[in-house]
Amino acid sequence: MAKDPILQVETTCGSLLYELQIIWDEVGETETDRDQMLLDLERECLEVYRRKVDQANRCRAQLRQAIADAEAELASICSAMGERPVHIRQSDQSVGSLKQELGKILPELEEMQKRKTERRSQFLLVLEEIENITNDIKGQGEHVLSKPLVDETDLSMRKLEELHSHLQALQKEKSERVETIRKHLCTLYSHCSVLGMDFNEVVSQVNPTLTDPEGPRSLSDHTIDNLDAAVQKLREVKIQRMQKLQDLATNMLELWNLMDTPIEEQQEYQHITCNIAASEHEITQANSLSEDFIKYVEAEVVRLDEVKASKMKELVMKKRSELEEICRKTHMLPVSDSTMDQTIVAIESGIVDATLVLGHLEQHISKVKEEALSRKEILEKVEKWLSACDEESWLEEYNRDDNRYNAGRGAHLTLKRAEKARNLVNKLPGMVEALASKTIVWEQEKGIEFLYDGIRLLSMLEEYTLLRQEREEEHRRQRDHKKLQGQLIAEQEALYGSKPSPSKPLGGKKAPRISTGGAATNRRLSLGAGMHQTPKPNKKADQRQVDGALSTGRRGLDVAGLPSRKQSMNPCEQLQSPLVRKPFSPISTTVVASKANIATPQQLVPNSKSNAVNEMSSFATPVKNNIIKNLEEEKMMSMLQTPKNVAAMIPIPSTPATISVPMQTAPTPLNNYARLLPEKTEVVEYSFEERRLAFMLQSESLIHV
Amino acid sequence: MSQPPPPSAGRELANPPSDGISNLRFSNTSDHLLVSSWDKSVRLYDVSTNSLKGEFLHGGAVLDCCFHDDSSGFSVGSDNKVRRIVFNVGKEDVLGTHEKPVRCVEYSYAAGQVITGSWDKTVKCWDPRGASGPERTQVGTYVQPERVYSLSLVGNRLVVATAGRHVNIYDLRNMSQPEQRRESSLKYQTRCVRSYPNGTGYALSSVEGRVAMEFFDLSEAAQAKKYAFKCHRKSEAGRDIVYPVNAIAFHPIYGTFATGGCDGFVNIWDGNNKKRLYQYSKYPSSIAALSFSRDGQLLAVASSYTFEEGEKSHEPEAIFVRNVNEIEVKPKPKAYPTPAA
Repeated sequence: MAKDPILQVETTCGSLLYELQIIWDEVGETETDRDQMLLDLERECLEVYRRKVDQANRCRAQLRQAIADAEAELASICSAMGERPVHIRQSDQSVGSLKQELGKILPELEEMQKRKTERRSQFLLVLEEIENITNDIKGQGEHVLSKPLVDETDLSMRKLEELHSHLQALQKEKSERVETIRKHLCTLYSHCSVLGMDFNEVVSQVNPTLTDPEGPRSLSDHTIDNLDAAVQKLREVKIQRMQKLQDLATNMLELWNLMDTPIEEQQEYQHITCNIAASEHEITQANSLSEDFIKYVEAEVVRLDEVKASKMKELVMKKRSELEEICRKTHMLPVSDSTMDQTIVAIESGIVDATLVLGHLEQHISKVKEEALSRKEILEKVEKWLSACDEESWLEEYNRDDNRYNAGRGAHLTLKRAEKARNLVNKLPGMVEALASKTIVWEQEKGIEFLYDGIRLLSMLEEYTLLRQEREEEHRRQRDHKKLQGQLIAEQEALYGSKPSPSKPLGGKKAPRISTGGAATNRRLSLGAGMHQTPKPNKKADQRQVDGALSTGRRGLDVAGLPSRKQSMNPCEQLQSPLVRKPFSPISTTVVASKANIATPQQLVPNSKSNAVNEMSSFATPVKNNIIKNLEEEKMMSMLQTPKNVAAMIPIPSTPATISVPMQTAPTPLNNYARLLPEKTEVVEYSFEERRLAFMLQSESLIHV
Repeated sequence: MSQPPPPSAGRELANPPSDGISNLRFSNTSDHLLVSSWDKSVRLYDVSTNSLKGEFLHGGAVLDCCFHDDSSGFSVGSDNKVRRIVFNVGKEDVLGTHEKPVRCVEYSYAAGQVITGSWDKTVKCWDPRGASGPERTQVGTYVQPERVYSLSLVGNRLVVATAGRHVNIYDLRNMSQPEQRRESSLKYQTRCVRSYPNGTGYALSSVEGRVAMEFFDLSEAAQAKKYAFKCHRKSEAGRDIVYPVNAIAFHPIYGTFATGGCDGFVNIWDGNNKKRLYQYSKYPSSIAALSFSRDGQLLAVASSYTFEEGEKSHEPEAIFVRNVNEIEVKPKPKAYPTPAA
């Protein structure tokens, strides 16, 4: 039976009071005590009540506080999350009891707290990643594993978005950097391979992390800058080496060209020379610019250079002989040997660059070739003329051969040749004329003299013409002489009757040929002088008369042993003879005497200009005057020289004569022992040395005196 | 064509003699050069270093000198004496004397004898190994028709050229009389005689710009080959100036020869082909003597006045040694087109 407990308590209290009354009654308590006791009881009950009320009041306050707290927290979370709070308490409208209110707010709060934690972890995640990437980019190298600080007051979605976009930007940058580095590494790798360098080593110098293909790589600005610098540096090195290689290749090509290196030998280096004009980016072949390779090429160039140096002389000599060959063929004067020798010495000593000399020679050769071309026509004519002259001289000799008509083996051939030669000789003057006019035209055109083996062709022709004239004259005189002899014989015969042999008086004509070898030399020598006479041939005769005395004198000496000898004393000798002295006899008059000797020929030949010769004549050296032509001498001439030989006669002032020139020779007569012994020198001849010693002794004795 | 370059005469030796050079000779074993001079000296040069190695002063002008071996030689001169000179010790002794100045001296390696020719009209042979004193060293005296002007020796054959254009040819093994007596083919005074290196003949030069090429063989075929040619001449104003030919030197290898004249020119000749091979540029003064070195690579040229015009002022004496180019001395056979006959 459920009864109201208060009622029950009331009942209990009333029963208890009743009981107390009974007890009191029995005890007999006074009324006052009873009242006092009842008052106490009353007060005690009040006290208990007051306590209970206080307790309840306190509990209510606590509850209110909790609600406020929860609400505050909720509000702060909401504000941090940037959300409108779900629960807004209306203070005016009461929702219910305090406990109800609290019970309503608490789950809300819990929900919000959970959401906040989630959001926070999201933030953490993003921030952590940002931190990572930043670290990467900044290039601290190692990761600082500090928890990023999350700003608790702002965990809004907006902020999160911001962070996310930041992160994305960072990620993009990172990927860009990775790409840059990759590219750089690629370039670097290709450079390294071309230059023959160790890629890993180069890269690890830039940043060691880059070498590890798996591990994280440094992406910092620093690294990229370094990498960039490394790439630039290698590129520069590459360009440098490339230029060097190209220089070497150019050198090599020049050397090949210079030395005509065979293609097979060149093939080996073809891959180098093919890059001679390549630009930097075109050279990609591995090791094509490595140090070893360049050294290798360098070594080849050095080798070629050495070969060149050794060959240079050879080359110069080759070119030079080429030049000489051309000159020889065209009868021009080559460059003199001595200059060439000097050049070679200069090359050897390194004073002159041989290539310069070569170039110079090359130029010279082309010049000479050009000239040779222009000379060709005339040269052909000259050859013809010279061969005709050869024939002429052969004919001359042949005509002198008394046995020429003897039938023998091959006689008919000789006859034929003589026939041909005669024809040719008849044509000679025309030939010479034509050649001379051609040459004159050539010389006028070129403005230089036409030289044949260093001798002016025109002068050769002139000499030849002169020689021919002389010869004709000689022939004529020979005929006159014969006629004269014939007349003489006829007269004698008329006077004294016939002589046994008409040929005897002519013996004088023949004798000189045998006895006077010296005189039997050809007379080309005199041609040079005769040349000057050609314009005025009529003067010859006068001249001959002027020099007559002297020439007779000389003839006398020349043809010693002839019947005519006695009457033709050398005037010098005649003068000398009274003054003859012993070589070392004391001299008082000799100086005068020798002077007189010297003077004599000058008096005889007043127009003589050659003092040397005149002085020489005092000891029997003759003054050669070419204009003197006397019969005997003409007859003595056993061999007429071909005009070709004239060359040797003309004084060649300074031209270095590499051309070989035929000598002016004549067969000397066989020794005539019989003639030698009886002959007595009429004049004491002295050699230069004897005269010198005499002079020396004389001057010494003068000093002593 | 381009102008010829300035002539190069060759290297000039330092310390030349102070008076006329009478002769110079290269050694047979080295590049030493022995030079005799009118300044009474004999000088020994080392051409390779251009240095004067020794000098001997005699009592008179030294007219000729020759090597014995590389350490000694012989000299003759106007003091009539024949001397032996020893270079490294500077010693000299007299082998003997002539009656007149001694013009020329030769040493025969074949006979081991010194041969001298003098103006006393004799040739004398000396044995240099003999004890000092003319009685011991003198082997023989051989009278010549005239004063001896030039001697030449190849093998055992001695050619003596004298005044009066006489030429005597001896065999050293039998000196009692000449093997041949000849007259010079040239009409004027003999200046120089030199035998061919192959021993078949000799070249003889005269004061009148001419050289005769002679052969020992007396057969007609051989004698037909002999000839003479003119050289060292100059024509000026319509006249020929003829110069004496003072010196002849044969190239030891090619047999070609050089001549030197009072015109100051040195010519190289090819006697077989009758060609002039080369003419060197003019030297300052007369060419007094010429000598090829043993291998023919060098030619010593004495440029020195030879008194051809009497006493007069002249260029100083000089000795040039030039390097001989092969092209200058190598014979050039003539390429005559053979006629159809």
